Amino acid sequence: MSAKDQQIKKLERSTKLTVWMAGKSSRNKSLSDKICRFLVSRATAVKPEDDFLRDPLIDNDQGFDPDELDRFQRGESG
Amino acid sequence: MPAPMPIDPQDVVNAKYEPRKTRPGVTTKRTICASCDIACSVVTEVEKGRVVRVRSSDNPIFRDNICMKGIIAPKGFANPNRILHPMKRVGERGSGEWEQVTWEEAFADIGARLKAIIAEHGPEAWAVSTSQWNTATDHGLGRRIMNHIGSPNWTSGVALCAGNTAAINRFTYGWFPIGDFQNTKCIVLMGHNPRRHSWTPMYTWIKQAQARGAKLIVTAPRRSSSAERADIWLPLKVGSDAAMMFGWLKVIIDEELYDKDFVANWTIGFEELKKRVDEYPLGRVAKLTGCDPDMIAKAARMYATEGPAIIPWTPITDMQRNSTSGIRLQSILRSICGYIDVPGGEHLQGFNPDVINESTIEMHHVLSDEQKAKQLGSDKHPAFTYRGQERFRGPTKKVWGQEYANLVMGCHMTPPSSLFRAMAGEGPYPVKAFFFLGNNPMMSYANMKLIIKAMMNQDLVVAHEQFMTPSAQLADYILPADSWLERPWLMDSFGWMSTVRTSEKSMEPQGECRSTFEFWKSLAGALARPEIVPWETLEKFYDYRLQKLGMGWEEFGATTDVHFGPPEFRKYLKTGFATPSGKVELWSSALEEMGFDPLPYFREDPPIDPNYPLKLFTGVREDGFFQTGHRHIEEMRKRHPEPLMFVSPGTAEKYKLEEGEWVEVENELAKISIKVAIKDAMPDDLIRIPHGWWKPEMKQGAGHLSGALKYADAQLCRDDEDYLDLEQGIPHLKGVPCRVNKVAQSQDDETARTQVEFAK
Repeated sequence: MSAKDQQIKKLERSTKLTVWMAGKSSRNKSLSDKICRFLVSRATAVKPEDDFLRDPLIDNDQGFDPDELDRFQRGESG
Repeated sequence: MPAPMPIDPQDVVNAKYEPRKTRPGVTTKRTICASCDIACSVVTEVEKGRVVRVRSSDNPIFRDNICMKGIIAPKGFANPNRILHPMKRVGERGSGEWEQVTWEEAFADIGARLKAIIAEHGPEAWAVSTSQWNTATDHGLGRRIMNHIGSPNWTSGVALCAGNTAAINRFTYGWFPIGDFQNTKCIVLMGHNPRRHSWTPMYTWIKQAQARGAKLIVTAPRRSSSAERADIWLPLKVGSDAAMMFGWLKVIIDEELYDKDFVANWTIGFEELKKRVDEYPLGRVAKLTGCDPDMIAKAARMYATEGPAIIPWTPITDMQRNSTSGIRLQSILRSICGYIDVPGGEHLQGFNPDVINESTIEMHHVLSDEQKAKQLGSDKHPAFTYRGQERFRGPTKKVWGQEYANLVMGCHMTPPSSLFRAMAGEGPYPVKAFFFLGNNPMMSYANMKLIIKAMMNQDLVVAHEQFMTPSAQLADYILPADSWLERPWLMDSFGWMSTVRTSEKSMEPQGECRSTFEFWKSLAGALARPEIVPWETLEKFYDYRLQKLGMGWEEFGATTDVHFGPPEFRKYLKTGFATPSGKVELWSSALEEMGFDPLPYFREDPPIDPNYPLKLFTGVREDGFFQTGHRHIEEMRKRHPEPLMFVSPGTAEKYKLEEGEWVEVENELAKISIKVAIKDAMPDDLIRIPHGWWKPEMKQGAGHLSGALKYADAQLCRDDEDYLDLEQGIPHLKGVPCRVNKVAQSQDDETARTQVEFAK
């Protein structure tokens, strides 16, 4: 097996493991699911100073008041 | 995935995810946002029966995949102007006179009229424009009914956005790959510009890959935000993408940087390709693209040697006269460099084996060969029609397990311009009934004037819509459509990827809004063919689709965020590729059989008309909008109050244009009004026009169409042969000749009126 083949095999195994863990992590029911969730969560966490997805528009969003949405839908408010 | 870290057992026991705090009385649902086409997994918060907030998913693999269009959705769908009841036109078409009817009354009449049209003109006289992408719960049921009834004339915005890419990718290796962003070492963005609030997951993957050390190459005429953080930016001339790729191939082949084993064992046509590539020495490519030859060579070397590399899908090559060649050249670069179906490269995933896919639901086998042959446009521009994809049926069955693979809905379409010409009475046979669902066709394809004529020439026009779009204003019936907050969704990535995700229903539909599933079920009943859509409810339909898993929708939806297909690579070692030869076809036997050049080529622009010295490109989305949608949302309109034409400082000076000035952009087809925005990032003599502008607050009906006749870019998009891709018949939107006219500045009043309308 060539060095390239070996590298591809290694990456294939790693990818299969990642997908398996992501699937279990998403299920998040059994203890092993929760271990995967913990690991995936740790692995995907980003330091606050490196977190390019922080955005005031998103982070400060508090949603809407349901009564206000009702009034808006009836045309009673802007 | 990094190596496992030491874990305190107690930490693991407590490792369950803690849901974010919610207000008292609030429940949450796991949903998939459909505010644009990228389908982010999100969470909705529900209070008093309403979705009051949309936030990002609790699942770490979807962390922070949310944008401004998602968080505004609860208000967007509560808009007082949303269509909540079926409406029947009572005045002249486009008069704006409607009466409220019931769904049952509407479909009784629609069914009777459609049957009469089919009886007089044949089933091919019925056309549909939609996509599962926009409507979600279509799931191929529209195609299923059309196939049973006998009409091949289905088209979609995916004809010039991803669907056609999928279809053309099949010519080279039989499937449409998805880039493995998690393992790649080099990403090539061809004009595409994912951002924080536009294509957020892709933006995230690219940034994460760069943080790991992956290289980024951007080819784009303007200095986009992606270009600014690229390792190499090639500021090519608009529409010259195919020429650029010839330059890359010239370097890669001449310097023998390709994967020789893969080329020798798994491709056909390499020597012929080499000869074609030799027609594009770097000097010629530099002239065609306007880029420095040394930089072209540097980028080519980076792509070929820093891999595995990916060229993610881009709309840019979907929308130009060299679209087929451009998409094929991307496929060829991926192939000869050995990046196909390897980790870090481009993964051919196939269908998810556990879920009945939409291609199966569509039942293309029941449409007779005789009716398939009537598909409009398949004679001149067959690439993504039944005729063009016919040669892949056998190989697809062998490799992927079924004959029909309608990847991204794009593999059995009618070219839109051919359809609208027939609808306008300029085709080989009449088309007299037109349905559109979750689609604003008048503004979504080239030559809006033709499309208006086509719609006015119909005997029956039916819309399934949420708002009174310019297209809906010309309908005979408007059926109120539900939103992604109001229904469940089993999302199977449109057959492109093997990942399946679920979306829970968050709230009851408003008014009498119904899903696309219910629309098609109602139509099957109205045509006296209820057996075509036999499932009582959407949930029971999902039970059917999930039967191989041994669980129903209720259990699957409640327990599953995402269901992955098996992550297999290099499957071709066992099965070959799903092409006629079983190999990667650098020389396409399918294109050759249809009488087209089997190798890619570059078609240069027609000579410049001195009356139209500038070029425009369109198709560009603004962060607050998706396609022609979201114009009714005050918060989004405040971000984008008017359509803006981007122009370079040099061009602005040359034509004496000032920032904020209203001008007209004109070409042979039409002229539109737009405001000037001078941008350093723009090259000279090129202007950027945003896609899909209309103003819901402006006067409705024929002759007005809520400002579409004044602002819509589709009016400038040509569909004459010089501006169509030969193989697909899709329009050239990346470099259309035009001029800018100075006008009297009278539109500030209109802007003020718009603000007053919103204030009300």
